[in-house]
Amino acid sequence: MLRLAWTMARSRFVALLAVACAVLGGAALVTGTGVLAESGLRSHVPPGRLAGADVVVAADQAHRVAEDLDEPLPERARIPADLGAELADLPGVTAAVGDVSFPAALVDADGRVVPTADPQGAGHGWSSTGLSSGGITGTAPTGDDEVAVGSAPAGTAPGDTVTVVAAGRSATYRVSAVVDAPGLFFADPTAAELAGRAGAAGAGTVDLIGLRTEPGAAGAVAAAARALLPADVTVATGDDRGDVAEPGAGAARPLLVALSGSLSGIVLLVVGFAVAGALGVSIAGQRQELALLRAVGATPRQIRRLAAGQALAVAAVAVPPGVALGFLLAGQLRRLLVEGGMLPAALPLTVSPLPGVAAVLLLGAVVWISARCAAWRTSRLPATEAVTESRTEPRAPSRLRTAIGGLLVVAATVLGGTPLVMRDDVGAGLVPLAGLTAATGFALAAPALLRWSGNAVARRLPTGISATSWLAVANLRGATLRMAGVVASLALVVVFALTYVLSTTTLLAAGSRDVQAGTLAQYRVTADALGGVPGDLRTDVQGLPGVQAAVPTAGTTVLWEYSELGDPAVEPSPALVLDPDAAGVLDLGVRSGDLADLTGDTVAVSADLVRSRHAGLGERVDLVLGDGTAVHPRVAAVYDRALGFGPVVLSGDLAAGHTSTGLADQLLVRTDGGTAAHDALAAVVADRPGLALADATPPGTTLADAPAQVWLNLVAITVLLGYLLLSTVNELVAVTAQRRGEIAVLRLTGTTPAQVRSMMRREAGVVTVAALVGGLLLSAVPLLSLGIGFLDRPWPAGPVWLAPAAAFVVAAIAFGTTELPTRRALRVEPASALS
Amino acid sequence: MSVAVERPAVTTAPAIALSGVSKVHPGGVRALDDVSLTVDAGAFLAVMGPSGSGKSTLMHCAAGLDSPSTGSIRIDGQEIAGLDETRRTELRRRRIGFVFQAYNLVPSLSVADNITLPLRLAGQAPDQTWLAELVERVGLAGRLAHRPAELSGGQQQRAAVARALVARPAVVFADEPTGALDLRSAREVLALLRESVDELGQTVVLVTHYPAAAAHADRAVVMADGRVVDTLGSPTAADLAVRLVALGEG
Repeated sequence: MLRLAWTMARSRFVALLAVACAVLGGAALVTGTGVLAESGLRSHVPPGRLAGADVVVAADQAHRVAEDLDEPLPERARIPADLGAELADLPGVTAAVGDVSFPAALVDADGRVVPTADPQGAGHGWSSTGLSSGGITGTAPTGDDEVAVGSAPAGTAPGDTVTVVAAGRSATYRVSAVVDAPGLFFADPTAAELAGRAGAAGAGTVDLIGLRTEPGAAGAVAAAARALLPADVTVATGDDRGDVAEPGAGAARPLLVALSGSLSGIVLLVVGFAVAGALGVSIAGQRQELALLRAVGATPRQIRRLAAGQALAVAAVAVPPGVALGFLLAGQLRRLLVEGGMLPAALPLTVSPLPGVAAVLLLGAVVWISARCAAWRTSRLPATEAVTESRTEPRAPSRLRTAIGGLLVVAATVLGGTPLVMRDDVGAGLVPLAGLTAATGFALAAPALLRWSGNAVARRLPTGISATSWLAVANLRGATLRMAGVVASLALVVVFALTYVLSTTTLLAAGSRDVQAGTLAQYRVTADALGGVPGDLRTDVQGLPGVQAAVPTAGTTVLWEYSELGDPAVEPSPALVLDPDAAGVLDLGVRSGDLADLTGDTVAVSADLVRSRHAGLGERVDLVLGDGTAVHPRVAAVYDRALGFGPVVLSGDLAAGHTSTGLADQLLVRTDGGTAAHDALAAVVADRPGLALADATPPGTTLADAPAQVWLNLVAITVLLGYLLLSTVNELVAVTAQRRGEIAVLRLTGTTPAQVRSMMRREAGVVTVAALVGGLLLSAVPLLSLGIGFLDRPWPAGPVWLAPAAAFVVAAIAFGTTELPTRRALRVEPASALS
Repeated sequence: MSVAVERPAVTTAPAIALSGVSKVHPGGVRALDDVSLTVDAGAFLAVMGPSGSGKSTLMHCAAGLDSPSTGSIRIDGQEIAGLDETRRTELRRRRIGFVFQAYNLVPSLSVADNITLPLRLAGQAPDQTWLAELVERVGLAGRLAHRPAELSGGQQQRAAVARALVARPAVVFADEPTGALDLRSAREVLALLRESVDELGQTVVLVTHYPAAAAHADRAVVMADGRVVDTLGSPTAADLAVRLVALGEG
């Protein structure tokens, strides 16, 4: 049976090539995401500086959500230092160390900052050296003018004098020791003060507690500790310690698993459809042979097994290279995620044969199921009927089908208007859905549309029209079902590409437009190498000539808790932290209230959220800050420009003490525009180590500057589009190949080969025009409302070359898939083609 | 009621003149072996023979559907053996009509469009009077707007005959035209071909292995192994059947 399957398959090469491509791509994607998923399950961030502590205790950096994935908390939550004393009393514990982190950076002799991996958390107390296993040369620092240096330029020795910018304050220190661990270690009381734990707000708290235990006692100690500690504190041993070192690391691994799972699921579904479509085409082409087999005595089950055998043979050839490609792909995917900030760079990939095996099994199952589905209908036909199955189409397309199609198009038009009402990423996200619905409706209604327009055209045809044009029109009118399928497929490609890409780029453009319009400041000063802008820079800059305002801003994440359809829901959103005088440098488009009221327990919210979250002016909202603290601030202002500045703004007072660093991300400076002010500013920035001066808004956000999440989206779109194009090309090639008999009849009746080619080209031309016009009309309303809703103009933002490229691709497919099969059909003598 | 139509002018050249025609397929199979045949204008010739005798190949070469390996083929005095496919097709449109066993009508065109297709491809407008008469003769007057799928086998074949006759060709080739038809439809189609010879002055070459069909012809040639082995004038079905059986035994 397998040999028979192979012999029959060889003659349907193109269709099976499509199956092979679909399977290869699917294997690569499933393997790549499988590696990511396995890494999420089995990889661990190496413990790094915590290697010396056998058990690590820290606050739980995940906000528990009922019936959903936990939300990660990106700001370090603090735990009481007293816990250290309790834990030290546990049997088996030899030492308990409390650790605090704060921004610190070493400045070398040239005034440049020595780069470190994590400037925001480089500063620690001396007792934190107990957490690492590195060597120490020198003595512990005493007083507030000594420091032990971890990551230092070569040649630094105890006794040297160094400049350190710690918690935004620059000072000189004497090196008391050199430590073989990353970071800068201060005397414990100094560290506490620098980390903001000396005052009332942070007194007696630490970031994490490390325990040294007797050999082999780590597990028992951890169990005892868990029993002792409250639920919102986690205890980690062994490989899990690295996850606790960074607030975001613990959340990354479940995210990897979830992301890989959903991506693989989508890929398998898409591959299943593509393979079923391609196999359907291949089986339709073999219909006569299969029917003959049935007539000769093959049971329906044997036919299905034959089809499955062909498909599996192709899959067996295509899967191994796909799996190999997938292992390579995993590295690229990881790189994309790290650049997007969704994955810590320290998390390694676990590479094992397991994802490859999983890919083989999953794709084999998908191909087998698709093959059986594709062969189902042909195998069920009675043997005689299969041979004589009529090739003509019904006279008129079903009215029910046309009606449903029309309804879908109307519904899609309404859905496409959502951006006019919802000016956020949800509104933009509905646009591609509207496009797809419209394309589906078009596919259903296309036969009727084509028939109606065909009749209209036929009536107006000039009598002197050439034979080939007349034949082309007659063929289109005579085969409306087949033509409608082709036109609808190509229109879908146009609609898909336009709506998906342009909704993403328009959203980006609207955000950057908001930022451009709302940023009154001309310059911004950042200090990434220092871990944050020093606190005293503001007063220095404000005193410069020509400077009208200098306001620090910071960014964090908050979680909204609200009730959606009766169920509690939690949504993370980025939040700006602003001072009351932020209005001097930012124009958020405040509608009601005043930014000057952003003091104490207040926030400002976007106008879009006023109704849905009950967040009107003066009302109180439920928020969870980045470190897990629940707050109930009052709304002091409502503003418009949420696309550029985020949906919520916190007052500085509210966020104080609840961020990892306590320092601002940037200082926005507004001047009178003169060069004197700029020069003075540049001088101040050059004077201090670690500062950088830049324009407040970059010239314009192009696609290249887009955040990595947008790139991930586009990658996904490209993959889906690739499969769509593959299926369409395969379908069209098969359609033309099926017309071999028709072409032979025409040649026997007196059509020259040149006339046949000309006729097919004209048909392709009509199909191209119909698909482009249809695709553009279907996407018109969603794209219009994108433009009007987000950018106040009737066209969306995006690459100018997109529409011409889509038109070119559609034309290339339509002409290419008719030209080549037609030439192949013309090479055969017409009489033998029919016999 | 038939309208008197001019017979095509009697030319001195025979309608078909094959001379030394051979066709060798790749692989060495000799389908035709040095065949020479002449058919006068206004004649009805039947070509018979067992399967594998080369009668279909002879017809395809004579009609310009295939090109012979050697030899000369003249249709109405014009040499067609060395022409490329485009020239042969153009010739076929105007000078040669063809009726196939499988009808071979274009499924997406109406009957009327199917009948006039050869003329349309040649860029000629059909003579409406002639068309009306032709349709009347084949008996499809009420079915012109229908598609081939809506007609019976016999009606489709009659439409194919009309298509073959519409350009008033020099020769009409019929390759097993009754093979797929029931007895009554077969008789109708053969009567049409006979009528076209008698009343319209058409030249018809009929390839068949039914002795009863070949009996409609004025002359019959019998082929075997790629050669013409026998010629009968005014054949009867019985004579032909005897000849064919003899061939099988010989």
